[in-house]
Amino acid sequence: MSEFATLASPYSMLAASHGDVDLTDEAKTRSRALNQFLAGVELKAFKIAQMALRHEDDALDAVQDAMLQLARAYADRPASEWKPLFYRILENRIRDMQRRRTVRGRVIAWLPFRGEEDEDEPDPISQAPSPEPQPVRRLELDEAVGALQKALEELPRRQQQAFMLRTLEGLDVAATAAAMGCSEGSVKTHYFRAVQALRAQLGDFYV
Amino acid sequence: MSPMTSPLTDFERNARAVLEESVARIDAHTRSRLNQARQLAVESAGPRHRRWWRTFALMPAGAVAAALVLAVLLWQRGPTVHESPLLEGRITGVEDMDLLADADGLDLVEGWDGPFYEWAADQPDPNAQSES
Repeated sequence: MSEFATLASPYSMLAASHGDVDLTDEAKTRSRALNQFLAGVELKAFKIAQMALRHEDDALDAVQDAMLQLARAYADRPASEWKPLFYRILENRIRDMQRRRTVRGRVIAWLPFRGEEDEDEPDPISQAPSPEPQPVRRLELDEAVGALQKALEELPRRQQQAFMLRTLEGLDVAATAAAMGCSEGSVKTHYFRAVQALRAQLGDFYV
Repeated sequence: MSPMTSPLTDFERNARAVLEESVARIDAHTRSRLNQARQLAVESAGPRHRRWWRTFALMPAGAVAAALVLAVLLWQRGPTVHESPLLEGRITGVEDMDLLADADGLDLVEGWDGPFYEWAADQPDPNAQSES
């Protein structure tokens, strides 16, 4: 037993050699950074997906897929590249879901017996907002949030995307262009038109 | 609209505040599911997906050198011709390959060899002479 211990210790020391420790530390640091990054974007990403898909579960699926793909394929990339990459992946996922939904809608329209399975009743408990009691201000905000969401949902997809990425996520034009897969000029045009449309519908000071 | 570097207009500021408020109102159940999705994603980026060559980088240099020397020694020794009867067929196969690779040999195999057989038939049998 003592011999085994004597023999084992040099090997365990080898296993914990300089390189191995560095690698473990590096992996841990990267995991922590990735976790921090995803924690910082997940809520906004969900909101963007929800606005585009108008369905909570689909939005959650889209965000989850985007997180997984970013982690699997791009975790080794510099952290500064993660945000545009993540939103690019999310956008692709949203587009896939919208296409699938369109196809499914066409197929279902042809079916003789179509039920109401897509009209799931939302769980009232899960739908309950976080408790923040501020009665009067809350009522004003409720109206403002509802009005903005409705106006945003009516925007063309690219305008909505440009507006959400720039206004909510705070991406600059270059990062927004990278996330949307288009030129910076296109981003500016989409954003300009989005703001014009929203302003026309909501007024300059709707809050 | 505000260009990239210019400050936000009142409208944009208000819109951002409202959007942030809507994000803050995301319910606990959704937050929990997003949290789970994040944990899953972070785990999937873990050491399981480490590059295969990094395992070699972690091997001690001495072990790699010893393995290489052993491989070279085994390669150079190779099997001898009469080492095993099981190898004979294989060696014959290699010789056949040499014959097939030889262009003249192929001519003999594929062409008409009537004159050769006629000449061979005319030759006296050397075994018969030695026996007698």
